[in-house]
Amino acid sequence: MDSSVEETVPETESVAFMKLALEQAKLALDSLEVPVGCVIIKGQKVISSGRNRTTETRNATRHAEMEAIDVLLEQWQKDGLTREEVALKFSKCTLYVTCEPCIMCAAALSIIGIKEVYYGCANDKFGGCGSILSLHTNSSRKVTCSGISKRKEFKCTGGIMASEAIALLRSFYEQGNPNAPKPHRTLVPRV
Amino acid sequence: MNGSVDETSVVSSEGWTIIHIPEKPPVLPHLQDTVEVLASAIEPKHADTIVRKLNHIAPLEGLRHVKRIRKTCLDGGKSQLFVILCLASGNDGDSNFVPEDVLELANTYQLSTFTTKVCKHAASTKEEWEEQCKLWPTSFHPPTYNIDGITGFSEEDSSAVFNFMKLAVCLAKSGTSVVNAAVIVDPSSRQVVASSCDQVLSCYAPRENTSKGSCSSNQAEGSSEVVKASNEAKQSYKDVCCLHPWGWLEQQSQVGPDSWHPLRHAAIVAIENSAARDRLLFPVSGQSPDFSQEDYKVFSPPHSSLKRQKINTNVKHDERMDHHRNDLLCDSTRPYLCTGYDIYFVWEPCIMCAMAIVHQRIRRVFYTFPNPNDGALGSVHRLQGERSLNHHYAVFRVSLPEEILKSEALATASKID
Ligand SMILES: [Zn+2]
Ligand SMILES: [Zn+2]
Repeated sequence: MDSSVEETVPETESVAFMKLALEQAKLALDSLEVPVGCVIIKGQKVISSGRNRTTETRNATRHAEMEAIDVLLEQWQKDGLTREEVALKFSKCTLYVTCEPCIMCAAALSIIGIKEVYYGCANDKFGGCGSILSLHTNSSRKVTCSGISKRKEFKCTGGIMASEAIALLRSFYEQGNPNAPKPHRTLVPRV
Repeated sequence: MNGSVDETSVVSSEGWTIIHIPEKPPVLPHLQDTVEVLASAIEPKHADTIVRKLNHIAPLEGLRHVKRIRKTCLDGGKSQLFVILCLASGNDGDSNFVPEDVLELANTYQLSTFTTKVCKHAASTKEEWEEQCKLWPTSFHPPTYNIDGITGFSEEDSSAVFNFMKLAVCLAKSGTSVVNAAVIVDPSSRQVVASSCDQVLSCYAPRENTSKGSCSSNQAEGSSEVVKASNEAKQSYKDVCCLHPWGWLEQQSQVGPDSWHPLRHAAIVAIENSAARDRLLFPVSGQSPDFSQEDYKVFSPPHSSLKRQKINTNVKHDERMDHHRNDLLCDSTRPYLCTGYDIYFVWEPCIMCAMAIVHQRIRRVFYTFPNPNDGALGSVHRLQGERSLNHHYAVFRVSLPEEILKSEALATASKID
């Protein structure tokens, strides 16, 4: 809604990529899905995108991040890449997602070993990158004692075009029930 | 690490046990809040009189769970009684505060007082209570469960639980290596809705275990016989994905995998299978907004009256399949995700899988082996206790009798670190 803050500063790279993620979120909204979208960037190029598909699939785990990751895994395996090569590629990827990854997606992003994540609004209910759990860091965790690979950390920055992301989510829940009473006050999630 | 035992554990005659894993871990005695009280040794013959007087002149307000008298056994079979006289400090924090009447009583019976600690809050679990009593005895009123059939297992229920867990164990051991397995069950019809093994390396799960297969106890027993043959002595369980989520690069298979996917843990695939079954059984074209998930509802207007339709979870799918196979089922009979369903794991799920089953609205989770590396239901995290989540499931550990563990070559699984 009020994007004046973003508009007064020059459009940074992160804003440009977040706009693409917001485009994905809008596609979700058009399909009556919870509007969350993302893009994956490698070498300044968009190499994958995804949007929430939980209603269509009746699979509540089909979040934007999972969709975008699956696109890459399928492509890279078709190209005949080994697991090592795929892991190396993921370690050079940056994700832009309109809402803080949930606990499941944050864990998934750590498992694949993504390099960096930028998100829009925080997710106070089940955010996995600081809101409820901090799965992008090793800090609050036991050290794994087995020899097999340890938990991978990734850099995480929130608050990129958060108000746009929130506006989309609001319009989804408002259109979901046209009879819903108008709010007396506006609920602004912590960003 | 093994979660905690509370009073709701159910033991079967064959040595299976169902243990409830509560939402919050038991509090260690040194972490429980305590208050200081003034106490004294007393003669047993005066005990009744003193307690009656104290209850009148210095009732232990706010400490109703604390027993007034403590009995300590001494050497030689003798015992010594102690009584709490009053709180050691007054409301104003004055540490020398002792009511006049209590001082008088202490003089009358020539009591020599000392200060000691008691637990401030009543215990919420049996373990907490046991720890409290080491400081000073308290009383414990176990919380009553049996809400919505979430806990309280009848004999029939628990034997169904054991059979479904047997099925999960069979699946986990059915490939070339031991992996995790997930079985989604509709407890109202005792039908398997979907199941899967880990598919991070696809060669582990050659057979598809989609939809409506049901496994009787006989079938489960039969396959465990097969499993006995392929017994490997030493296991590190490194192919169990939830135990080693970051190990997908190093996980080996005897045959090279044709395809692989680092996120296809058993639960993720089982959810996918159950969603596929849902679409097959209820192929309604129009998407009702009533079914859209509330996961991001935090952003909705605070006074929104959006009430999601409550779906009857007691649908007997297979009956419906028989009678209406060619009919489109009306929306009201369609299950909403896995609402009302249970899931069985051999290993406690990792945090990714544990959150996935929150999203899919699973009602109860059963697992056998704790997961010290990334277990999200008591070992490392305790997702069932995260109050901010919009859905909560009840969690149980099903411990297997020794014979089953041995026959399944899983005897070391409960000891891995
Ligand atoms: Zn997510
Ligand atoms: Zn897992």
